[in-house]
Amino acid sequence: MGWFRGRVLALEGLEMEVHKGEVFGLLGPNGSGKSTAMKMILGLLRPTSGSAEVCGFRAGTIAARRQIGFLPENPYFPIFLSGAELVRYYGRLSGLGGAGLEKRVKELLELVRLGGEAGKRPLRTYSKGMLQRAGLAGALVGDPEILMLDEPTAGVDPAGSREIRDLILELKARGKTVIFSSHLLEQVEDVADRVIILHRGKKLREGRLEDLLTRKNEWEVKVQGLPEGDRQELLAWMKKKGGQVVREGAPRERLEDYFLRSLPEETRR
Amino acid sequence: MIGCLRRISAVAGNTFLEAVRQKVFAVLLVFALVLIGGANYFTEFSFQEQFKFLKDLGYAAISLTGLLVGLLGAAQLIPGEIERRTILTALCRPLRRWEFVVGKYFGLTTYLALMVVIMALAVWGVLGWKEGQFLRAEGLDSETAATIRAEAMDPRLLQAVLLVGAKLAVVAALAVFFSTIATSTTFVMAMTLLVYLIGHLQSVAREQWLETGEVTRWTVRIFLAGVALLVPDFNLYNLIDEIVAGNVVVWRTTLEVLGYSGVYIGVLLAAAACMFEGRDI
Repeated sequence: MGWFRGRVLALEGLEMEVHKGEVFGLLGPNGSGKSTAMKMILGLLRPTSGSAEVCGFRAGTIAARRQIGFLPENPYFPIFLSGAELVRYYGRLSGLGGAGLEKRVKELLELVRLGGEAGKRPLRTYSKGMLQRAGLAGALVGDPEILMLDEPTAGVDPAGSREIRDLILELKARGKTVIFSSHLLEQVEDVADRVIILHRGKKLREGRLEDLLTRKNEWEVKVQGLPEGDRQELLAWMKKKGGQVVREGAPRERLEDYFLRSLPEETRR
Repeated sequence: MIGCLRRISAVAGNTFLEAVRQKVFAVLLVFALVLIGGANYFTEFSFQEQFKFLKDLGYAAISLTGLLVGLLGAAQLIPGEIERRTILTALCRPLRRWEFVVGKYFGLTTYLALMVVIMALAVWGVLGWKEGQFLRAEGLDSETAATIRAEAMDPRLLQAVLLVGAKLAVVAALAVFFSTIATSTTFVMAMTLLVYLIGHLQSVAREQWLETGEVTRWTVRIFLAGVALLVPDFNLYNLIDEIVAGNVVVWRTTLEVLGYSGVYIGVLLAAAACMFEGRDI
């Protein structure tokens, strides 16, 4: 951290595994180590001890970085470039070139809805949502196996945020693995298969959302057009009356509540 | 290998584009061109003195503008990218750090080379213009006309342009080296300027170090050896003044200085790449 400023342990004893094809959420308050974990996986920071592997390659190596497309928390892009120039630049940094790169640039700009004139405008004229979408196209240009998105919806309006969420789901449908961090817990709940919760550099919880958020000792019946009552009697009564059971099973807690409950008492306020 | 060259050229191209799109560099270039062009209107001296004045002023303008652009540009290369955090989106790709450093350097030096060529063409244009003015004068004998032509279109000026370019390339390499260890642009500019100034005294340190009888204290000798070995000798580029003064400088000497510059640039870039390799971003 510089002379006479001491050192800070940003991450401690973190063990995590992300499976191919899943959407994995990194959760935690500011300073919990989410971005540090991502930077270590990318090789931008070196751990004092421990190691990480990406698709069988040691994290930080060229082979490992070839597997990852990264979108940083804020749009840290050279703003003197246009959207198309940005994607082309990142493509060339990934070793692409020629007609293949031009085709890929065009395809990706269309995918993130920045095709045509929008792609020719300088980045300094873009809105935050447009910048994030341009960055996403840049992250995808090398056709990576893994997408690593650091707060992809931070500062983006709800519509832009929804677009990014839809893009994540589309990428998942294409077989990509997505690792992302977000403060918008409802959005994480919508797209993530599994999450990890970090606090002050340590792992608090990890698991499938289904397992983490389901209250197994409780039951909830969602009935359309009928009042609540005894479950068995009500089901029988409902069937008898011709009512339709929409969902039956353990009720789920909101991720936001679970997340806050996972944090130590003093940091909840 | 092709992938490596493609990545270096991508970084270099982006750095060049950034420099081209920076208004401050364009403004500096315009000022230099105005200065060079304006020198044509000093008509108080004899034609030999006027040509020498034009060359002196022209090459001083090229050196000074190039130095400013080199310092400002190089100071922003890596600390600027770290401050703006744009470096994150570059180094997270399959790009080696040394490729990034070398690409940045080549992007900046390509821009510097372009500026030097534009300014040198302006100097030659002004010299040609002046030549035309003198040759149109009445009562000019053939011998004087030949001298005027020789003064205006002196092929040795190409040597001077190459030497100015080499000097600026060494300054840029120094700035790139400091930019890999610095956290601020001010530090890079201050350190580069300091070494640039020390570089003009390097020959004094070298002579003191080599003459064993002069300095006996070992600490002083280590300091002198450090200055003599680590700091480039910027006095070598004073050959430019010799050329402008009309003295003969053989091509062999020019090529030796260019080779010396190349070695220093190589060493500085290798050191910069090593320093940058272990740095946390």
